Amino acid sequence: MRYRIGLVALLAVVAWGLPYGLNLYAMHVADVALVFAVLAIGLGLAMGVAGQVNLAQVAFFGVGSYAVAILTTHYGYGFWPAALLSLVATVVIGLLVGTPALRVQSHYLGIVTLGLAVAFTNWVTNAALAGGASGISGIPVPPLGGVDLSSDYLYWYVEVVVFAAALAFGLFVVRTPLGRRMRAMRDDSLAAGAVGAEVPMLRMAAFGLASVYGGLAGVLYAGLIRYVSPDTFSMTNMFLLLAMVIIGGRQSLVGCVVGALALSLLREALSDASTYAQLGYGVVVVLAVVFAPTGLAGLPARLRSGWRKRRGEGASAAVLGPFRPFPAAPQASAPVGPGPLLEVQQISKRFRGLWALREVSLSVGAGEIRGIVGPNGSGKTTLFNVISGLYRPSGGTVRLGGAPVGGRRPYQLSHAGLARTFQNLRLFNNLTVRENVLVAADRSRTRGIWRYAVWQVGVVRRDRALRARADAMLDQFGLSAFADALPRSLPYGIQRRVEIARAMVSGPRLLLLDEPAAGLNGEEVRQLGEIVRSIRDSGVTVVIIEHNMGLVMSLCERITVLASGEVIAEGGPAEVAATPRVIEAYLGDSAMSKDVPPVIATEVAQ
Amino acid sequence: MQVFFQTLIGGLSLGAVYALVAMGFSLVYRTMGLVNFAHGDVVMIGAYVASTFYMSAKLPFALAIVAAIVVTGLIGVIIERVLRPLENKDFDLMLIGTIGFGIVLEAVATLIWGATGRAVPSPVPAAPLDIFGIRVRTYNLVVLAIAALAMVALVLFLQRTKRGAAMQAVAMDYEAATAVGIHVGRSNALSFSIGAGLAALGGGLVGPLLYVNASMGGSLGIKGFAAAILGGFGSIPGAILGGLAIGVLDSFSAGHFQGYSDLVTFLVFTVIIMVRPTGVFGERTVNRA
Amino acid sequence: MHTPRHIRGALIGAAVLTTILATACSAPGKSSTSSSGSGKGPIKIAVVDAQSGQLSSLGHWESNGAKLAVDQWNAKGGINGRKIQLDVFDDQGDPTVGTNLARKIASDGYIAMIGTSESAVTQAMAPILQQEQIPNITSGQADSMVKLGSPFLFLNGPTSTTYDETLAKYVVDTKGIKSIAMITNNGGYGKGEHDAFLASLSKRGVTPLTDQVVTTDQKDFSAALTTIRQKNPQLVFIGSEEVEAGLIVKQARDLGITVPFAGSAPQGTPVFAETAGAANVENTIVSSPYLGNDISDASRTFAAAYKAAYGDDAELHGAKAYDGTSIVLTALKTSNVATGKKLADAIRATKYNGLLGSFAFDSTGVGIFATSIGVISNGKLAAAS
Repeated sequence: MRYRIGLVALLAVVAWGLPYGLNLYAMHVADVALVFAVLAIGLGLAMGVAGQVNLAQVAFFGVGSYAVAILTTHYGYGFWPAALLSLVATVVIGLLVGTPALRVQSHYLGIVTLGLAVAFTNWVTNAALAGGASGISGIPVPPLGGVDLSSDYLYWYVEVVVFAAALAFGLFVVRTPLGRRMRAMRDDSLAAGAVGAEVPMLRMAAFGLASVYGGLAGVLYAGLIRYVSPDTFSMTNMFLLLAMVIIGGRQSLVGCVVGALALSLLREALSDASTYAQLGYGVVVVLAVVFAPTGLAGLPARLRSGWRKRRGEGASAAVLGPFRPFPAAPQASAPVGPGPLLEVQQISKRFRGLWALREVSLSVGAGEIRGIVGPNGSGKTTLFNVISGLYRPSGGTVRLGGAPVGGRRPYQLSHAGLARTFQNLRLFNNLTVRENVLVAADRSRTRGIWRYAVWQVGVVRRDRALRARADAMLDQFGLSAFADALPRSLPYGIQRRVEIARAMVSGPRLLLLDEPAAGLNGEEVRQLGEIVRSIRDSGVTVVIIEHNMGLVMSLCERITVLASGEVIAEGGPAEVAATPRVIEAYLGDSAMSKDVPPVIATEVAQ
Repeated sequence: MQVFFQTLIGGLSLGAVYALVAMGFSLVYRTMGLVNFAHGDVVMIGAYVASTFYMSAKLPFALAIVAAIVVTGLIGVIIERVLRPLENKDFDLMLIGTIGFGIVLEAVATLIWGATGRAVPSPVPAAPLDIFGIRVRTYNLVVLAIAALAMVALVLFLQRTKRGAAMQAVAMDYEAATAVGIHVGRSNALSFSIGAGLAALGGGLVGPLLYVNASMGGSLGIKGFAAAILGGFGSIPGAILGGLAIGVLDSFSAGHFQGYSDLVTFLVFTVIIMVRPTGVFGERTVNRA
Repeated sequence: MHTPRHIRGALIGAAVLTTILATACSAPGKSSTSSSGSGKGPIKIAVVDAQSGQLSSLGHWESNGAKLAVDQWNAKGGINGRKIQLDVFDDQGDPTVGTNLARKIASDGYIAMIGTSESAVTQAMAPILQQEQIPNITSGQADSMVKLGSPFLFLNGPTSTTYDETLAKYVVDTKGIKSIAMITNNGGYGKGEHDAFLASLSKRGVTPLTDQVVTTDQKDFSAALTTIRQKNPQLVFIGSEEVEAGLIVKQARDLGITVPFAGSAPQGTPVFAETAGAANVENTIVSSPYLGNDISDASRTFAAAYKAAYGDDAELHGAKAYDGTSIVLTALKTSNVATGKKLADAIRATKYNGLLGSFAFDSTGVGIFATSIGVISNGKLAAAS
């Protein structure tokens, strides 16, 4: 920490002293580079942190500087009022450009945003208001007391202040609840939704943030160059910006800044051989994605881990602690009305003509542990996906605590008290174990992010409270030793436990466990049974899909058996085991198993 | 009315080229689950190589295109080989990797052929046909016919041959395909080189229509990609339909909105994608959920 | 481990701080005054144009023309016994890079600049060059540059207004053609042509039959051209760069438009003719200050020297840069290697008889106000009778 403060102080001194050591040319290059650094932070937030393929960042940049140019030259606004209005304009445009992200992701989003960026340059090339292809000149020098900002030296200080504030704010966002949710969404948007992150709002927030930085960079550009034209906001520059972010390391804002500064300076140094420079950065981008996907920012960590390996320091010596049982809830504390907690009525789900579920009904009483078993492809996971809002049912209703929840989105269900785990483990792989739990511990709605703009202290306080809760939960599950590890580096059994801890930290009424014992050894299965029982005793209703019949028989009061998408039996363990249809279904497993067809499920869920 | 039909013909002619580009996108996506953003630049290389063989080496036009297909097929293999470590892992990184390759190809073309570009004479010297006042260039009919042939051949290859089936199996389930003895690397390399070959076909054919230079890949790539998505990403008939649709959309927005045509084209495209993200024929690909 | 490193960092910081405080107490940048030009050593002139990217062919021609002029002057002993040093910088067609280069040439002591034909880059650089008092003569022709009103900015050729006024005069007044269709692109060049030609037409009471605007990278012109065909014009005016103009002509002929085309300099180039097809460009009317290498003795001498130096045929852009550079060098000679405002005044006072015609600058920085009309016949551009 002290080391960091020292580093920041040193950088501040360098930034302050830099103009004294540079000639006018070098100063101007540095000014331009810093503008790109601000722009790159925005792209890093959208692409690296929130996982939104945003190829319109250069258009946000353009909107910012064009708005300043138009407002000052056409409408006679002063520079600073114009700057403020242009930020607003950029955010509005940013949110509009971001709306497709609600429907499409990945390459679809890439082409749409790229197309909209082309549309922007097309508009400014044509519109008389924007000066057409010859652009707008004569943007006034920003006034600042008596300081003459037409000097590139003095303008540097303005830029440094804005840049430092922008970077600090960006880092603040990344390390607090909003950024954590964005990173979770980037790693696995399905799981993020399931733990209560409002994915659509977060995507919009990502575009909003990206556009704020685009607008800031645009304002700085307009004040520095005092001329705007469509050529500045070309696709070439978009790809250059992309290269900066990738080479620097898209998941680290500092990396984005380093990449932007490095590439700006290199481009200038190689300006006499710009085709070779282009060739060079293209090659470096390719090499970076293959060999160093975390970019320059990831290098220290890679080197460190490589060094450790060579010194023979294996995995950390951390050990799994014992699970400490939850305090048992006083009887009937669960806030349930009369009737069952979960009621599934006549649910059907069809995929391209195949019935995965056919009029399935079941009801689970509060405080029950319900087992769901059935051969492979019998529709168990589909049922979970319908209950947790990932799939929209083709027919039927689902009630949670008496209230109909059909058609609700996963995050809404999470806020209504539903938590789940996944058959194939859906942990956020680039978040630490603690952060995984922290994401789920955060019960706030995304609309609360206004605090980021006006009341940061509140954000910090809330984050502190969350951390306390998350650490308590990790301790409860005996996971404290792994709090700072990345999930992938942990043994499978521990990952399973992390996922349950993550589900429990949201304080659910109903917990859905999808094959929690798969891949666990005997001792781990025994611990799992203990954990599930304690969870139930604390007042949480549990529904569990499991193939391990021993576990199911010992754990569940009642068991529902599915086969070919239909309920074929329900009752106590002994009762179910004696049902002829169940025996038939299990013996005829291979004959009857029909895998659910592949589905384009990723986005359906959103 | 005449304006309408002539605009339609113009749009369809250019649309045939977009369709060929879109087919390359779709094939690679369908068989590998990879979006190749460098595809437009591979088209550009194809155009350059074809025109070089045609104009400098005086090869017949068809042979020049075959030569171009060989060259770009090789480029395709190289791109696939370099990005192989990312296959079935990080989708967005692969996307960016191919953007990087696009930048490289453009720079390489500038270094080899210069930035000026060249005009390619039409290999079909016949005068345009005149049908009730609507003029149709014979060469455009040739391009349309080749696009249709390529589509049929590709669909037959994917559906009727063992190798084509294997390529799709890889896309559907990478591990299962390995388990049944399909050499995934070889299969991917093949599909990538066929995709790149299609790019050369498109590039070679577009040369005489337009003007060949190093930056032509950008707009061809964006429009071709949009076409592939519009038709339903991964669907081969969808690529043809999407290509023609984008061509026609482009022509009509140029007619009605003049200089604002790009703005209108992409706004319409955005709206269509938001209404129906999977395109006309629906996405044909892997379950990546 | 952490504390010592921290202390070391702080110590270094303090050291840097004290050094800086000791050396510079004023605001940064005030002390550096450019000492360019005066004194001994070579006279430094910069060429800034696109050496890479789409416009690089223009850039190469321009730098070749400028170099040829400088080489000829150096061969004759330079100016006042001092050699002329010409350095080429690549603006990549990007205005931001242009501003970097403007600062660079100011810092490195260049006293004059030969600029690019890309008007956006020129406009981005203009405020800096004005601030630094570096006279520059550029190859652009957009009227918007003239409107900047910088006393340091000069053009090495006519503006669009001149090109198109001459053209309109020939077409409307001399030939009596009144039914004219226009097709122009929305880029910097096309927009300038559009506005200038339209103004010249309306001055003569002529309204174009149709006014089609296309984008700079449009590929299919069916809609615009069919509209034009329906209006049955006697002449089609094209305001677009070489390649696109060629594509327009090619597609127009395929659509059955048989009337001649007219336009400015781009349509006198080989690239235009190759793209359109030689047969399609017959009877095209071109307004250009430099119709070809065979127009005059001066142009023949220039073309021969150009061919000898670069092995290529000379063309308009090289000729313009050659003229522009020669004007700067002449002004340097007459002013005894003045710099800044004095040099700008010297350029303004220079009367020069060049390849493009007679230059005499007015207060806006434009030095030539005439172009010639040529017509392509039998595949060759020749002066109109």
